Amino acid sequence: MLAASRSDGGKGSDPKFLTDQESPEPLNPAPPVPTESRRLALETAAAFENEGFRIRDSEWQNSLSKGQSAFLQICLFSGNQYWFVAASPTNAVKIRMVVYDPSGKPLKSDSWQDGGAHPGSRAALGFAPTISGMYFVAVEFLDIPGGSPNDVCFVYAYK
Amino acid sequence: MQTGRYFAISVMSVLCCHAVIASNFVISPMSESQIQGAIFIDSLSVPSPGEVFAAMNKVCRPNWATLVLPISAPVSTERSQLALAVGVLSANGYIAVEAQDGQQVKNVGREMMSVAKSLGISESLMGRGNSLIQFADNSDWEALAGELEATENEVKATMVGQKDKELVTLTSAAAWLRGLQVVTTVILASPTLQGAEVIDQSSLARHLLLQLDALPIRVRKSERVITVHDSLDQIAAILEKRNKLPDSLLEKKRIEIQKIHQLAAGAVQAIMTSASAPSQIPSIPPIPMPRIPGVPEVHGVSNNSPAVITPSKP
Repeated sequence: MLAASRSDGGKGSDPKFLTDQESPEPLNPAPPVPTESRRLALETAAAFENEGFRIRDSEWQNSLSKGQSAFLQICLFSGNQYWFVAASPTNAVKIRMVVYDPSGKPLKSDSWQDGGAHPGSRAALGFAPTISGMYFVAVEFLDIPGGSPNDVCFVYAYK
Repeated sequence: MQTGRYFAISVMSVLCCHAVIASNFVISPMSESQIQGAIFIDSLSVPSPGEVFAAMNKVCRPNWATLVLPISAPVSTERSQLALAVGVLSANGYIAVEAQDGQQVKNVGREMMSVAKSLGISESLMGRGNSLIQFADNSDWEALAGELEATENEVKATMVGQKDKELVTLTSAAAWLRGLQVVTTVILASPTLQGAEVIDQSSLARHLLLQLDALPIRVRKSERVITVHDSLDQIAAILEKRNKLPDSLLEKKRIEIQKIHQLAAGAVQAIMTSASAPSQIPSIPPIPMPRIPGVPEVHGVSNNSPAVITPSKP
């Protein structure tokens, strides 16, 4: 995949995070392929629908290597509550999500990891911003059994 | 599903017992290259109008019924205008959902199908149109909000399939502008500008501008696209300046929000005007500004004239 064009003085791309140019919007006009990671993510997010959350009709899917982060830009509004969900079809992976403020500072948030039938393969992050803005949510595999890049799907819900 | 319900209960009970799980990892701030390289996805990074309106509902309880404006799709063969119109209509649908106005939702659905037909993508949307009608008849507002977003996304996906990927940006920008128009109406009706913090999205405006700047010249030269671009540019500048104003300068903030409102309204009006017809959008009635003792009275800004402030005698 092409490295992102740099706006930081031409420094080389950092293989530890997936950039916008390496994860372009899909050109496939067909509906999203119903992958297992997507199914798991939506199933997890559905838990929050019972609490009045609405799931966005969109997701981000890609493959990540262990230790490689993907930073997603999400526009958040003060007063709203959000749950971010990431899921992978591989059991025993360890997913981590972190939310950052518009300046890139990591923020505290509620978190949940699947300890049941799909240990580690699903994670959720709850956050309620006090200031509206363009935040970042990082998705990362802290551990992948076997070490190969693994599929992950990200969705979010709000209320 | 029983399995799904059991899972939901187990997730929520775990969350309640362990509201915050302390991380054993030290998490560093993002680097500049990470910020610059962050992934922006139109359907995920650009908020739906429903999110904006949900935030407004927390701060104040807008009378959504008064904000519903019947709007007809413009008669046009210009694909960029039709794409913009989809965005405006989509936002209108969310307003109708907030107002729980089933008839307006159906009207919006009908207009969206009409635009989709002009874009040559109506066949794939027939099912969506029927779902909108069914949910509206059943007053299933939550399902309607989801269906509206799904309909908009399906239109966008079909645009991509027709090699019109750039139209997706136009739809998102127009939906944002229509949402901004409505939200600023609500904010300006409050003596204390309640809800003003919701619109502090200068980064989003800049991002939409970047995407508009990246459009092919044949799209960018459209009069309506130019209007949308210029409006977003001015709105972004106002929002960036607004963030630096102290809260005590309420009247100055009011003037800025009024400008944003006028810019958004002007862009929406340009989008929805048929090429050979007068504007189809009824003007939003002037917002009665509450009189605050000791504060100069502020008059609205027209689209083509500089701001006029006529202080009244104390």
